[in-house]
Amino acid sequence: MKFLPLVWAGLWRRPARSIITGLCIVIAFLLLGLLQGVNAGFAKSIADAHRDLLVTSTRVRGGGQMPISAMAIIHSIPGVKEVAPRAYFMGSYRDPAAKNMVAAIATQPELFFRLRPVFSVAREKLDAMRNTRAGLLATPALLEQFGWKVGDTVTLRSQALKTDGTRVWTFSIVGTFDTIKEPTRAAFGIINYAYLDEYRVENRGNAEMFYERIADPTKAVATAAAIDRIFANSSHETRTRSDQERAEFQAKQMGDVQFFTNAIMGAVLFTLAFLTGNTLRQSLHERIPEFAVLKAVGYADAGVLGLAFGEALLLFIPAAAVGLALAYLFAPLAKEDIGAIVVSPSVATAGLLCAGFLALIGAALPAFRISRMSVAASLGKR
Amino acid sequence: MQILAVTAMNLRSIPQRLGNSLVIVIGIAGVVAVLISVLAMSLGFRATLKGDARADRAIVLSRDATTEYQSSLSRENVAAVMNTAGIKHDARDRPIVSAEVILVAPVARKRDQSDVNITLRGVGEQYFVMRPELKLVSGRMFRSGNQELLVGAAAGGQFAGLAIGNSVRLQDGDWTVVGTFAGGNGSRESELIADSQTVMSAYKLEAFNSMAVLLDTESSFTTLKEALAADPTVMVDVRTEPEYLASASSSVNRMLRIVAYAIGSIMALGALFGALNSMHSAVAARTVEIATLRAIGFSSSAVAAAILIEALLLALMGAGIGVVMAYAAFNGTTISTLGGALWDSQLVYSLSITPSLVVIAILLACALGLLGGLFPAIRAARANVAEALHET
Repeated sequence: MKFLPLVWAGLWRRPARSIITGLCIVIAFLLLGLLQGVNAGFAKSIADAHRDLLVTSTRVRGGGQMPISAMAIIHSIPGVKEVAPRAYFMGSYRDPAAKNMVAAIATQPELFFRLRPVFSVAREKLDAMRNTRAGLLATPALLEQFGWKVGDTVTLRSQALKTDGTRVWTFSIVGTFDTIKEPTRAAFGIINYAYLDEYRVENRGNAEMFYERIADPTKAVATAAAIDRIFANSSHETRTRSDQERAEFQAKQMGDVQFFTNAIMGAVLFTLAFLTGNTLRQSLHERIPEFAVLKAVGYADAGVLGLAFGEALLLFIPAAAVGLALAYLFAPLAKEDIGAIVVSPSVATAGLLCAGFLALIGAALPAFRISRMSVAASLGKR
Repeated sequence: MQILAVTAMNLRSIPQRLGNSLVIVIGIAGVVAVLISVLAMSLGFRATLKGDARADRAIVLSRDATTEYQSSLSRENVAAVMNTAGIKHDARDRPIVSAEVILVAPVARKRDQSDVNITLRGVGEQYFVMRPELKLVSGRMFRSGNQELLVGAAAGGQFAGLAIGNSVRLQDGDWTVVGTFAGGNGSRESELIADSQTVMSAYKLEAFNSMAVLLDTESSFTTLKEALAADPTVMVDVRTEPEYLASASSSVNRMLRIVAYAIGSIMALGALFGALNSMHSAVAARTVEIATLRAIGFSSSAVAAAILIEALLLALMGAGIGVVMAYAAFNGTTISTLGGALWDSQLVYSLSITPSLVVIAILLACALGLLGGLFPAIRAARANVAEALHET
């Protein structure tokens, strides 16, 4: 600790150079934090997914829907604890413009909320849903979009024909529910499957998806295969995947962008290592005579080496920390266009380790030269 | 004249301070390589998205739909649009139109075997007449009524299992790949196509998504638009193909552009500091030299200009290396991301390092070199000659 002032003084020998180098490091780690945060964001959504939840959907999208009667068969498969159906309802409020479209998931709300932990709802809202056949649970964003209030009765015009020959569907808003993903933008509702299915003409008795909870996550693959066997060789073959597989699938849809961010990160780190390494080399090189004086007055080789490395670390670590902190601050700005960037503690730790590593590499060459140089020769350089 | 002499002297001394000068060169090479790679990605995406656009083609969607997948056109609507004025007719006097449905087909990307979706488009029989830029390059046309597919060349290159004779698992069993088509440099090459009637009966679909029409001339668009607006039975919107494609897939487009400029500008800032640093120490190391020059009569502006020119030359060298690096690594590389006709289908496109990107890179490098050299140059010009000479 007593050498800190000495190291500190070495750093501020040429303040302009140290500050500029520091800024360079800040910038590099800002970029590193953001890019690494994109990857961490994908990884987090995969890790957050639940391994005991399965989703069954039609193998071929746009293909035939599954009969709702299959729910009982799925439920009878050993290891399946709960099953919820899902159908889709689209309607428009007032005139049929794209901006007036309302989407709703038709399901058995009580089961649905248990099987989809990304959504949460209060107990009494679920009770209200059970007691109100034509009930609608809405996200706060949906209420805000059309200026609706809980208790309102709303009329939606849909492509889906009703048994009474009209296309007009009426719902009463019984409450709100929350969603973890994009809470301010997700505008949709949840309705009772039984109500939709009783009155619709097309696709009656069908579901687009089933959600399942299984007892043992390690048997997810076998259970999924058992579910898919029920529908094999029918016009509605299915593909059952765990929540986690689905999250992985979604992350991969971004495609080669991830490959690209990694390539860029490599380029950034290389450039940075070169720029700063050179500055360190220069700065230490200039002071060879000073180090020689230290050695002449009795400092051990290791001590001088320590001073050089200490100076490098003191330059890199705080600057990298500032860069990562900036990345943490900027990350939410990109949410809308790029998606979640998570500058998590592990991203920060990896970043700081990386900074330390770069500092040591940059200082290594000049530091060893100094520590091995003969005192007489170095002093002669004055 | 003085400037030339000082510059030449400075340049001759570069080998003695190689490390320092390399900082500028490599720093700027890094920035330029990264910036043009990300720009090439963003521009390649946009170019492919708009690649098909022809002003004498129009896209009909149901009213208020902004994308194909939101749109739904009944058979009656399609029949009504077919008979509207302004549409070009072929030799047998049939209107040149293609009513289309879009679906997705699951495929595996060759590079990493990951599962992705690509667009499956059910098209009308005049599809290739309406899009003469697309040519069947191998195999044969699909036959109506058979579950057969044609594969776009870009999709065939990027995804596995799409060679002629392969089968793709879709609704109602396996569909066989019978041919490949190419051309147009647009998004169509990322798709699978099949006969729309066959697709619709397999998927039990009643409605089309969209309809593309070939216009008599570019100016017939107004005729068509007015005729459709005047017909109260068809609730459709029509826009020219360039207009439609410009509005499509804007979110991925926006994302790529933001990423390109954000990364580019952050890196440029980093390289600016790098250039500043190394010109700064280049000047500091030569304090005595510069002072001597000034003492023997070189003007301070000549000294400053020489430093600026040196920075500029080093930056240009960096730009050259950066361009070559990006070119070698990515030019012609084909990648795929979201951006197809559906919200979750892939668009295949290639990165091309175009001359305009090279110009951008060179301009950026010049700006960085000048900015990086400016402050050290001013410092050198202002330094007190007597004091500087004392530093020996």
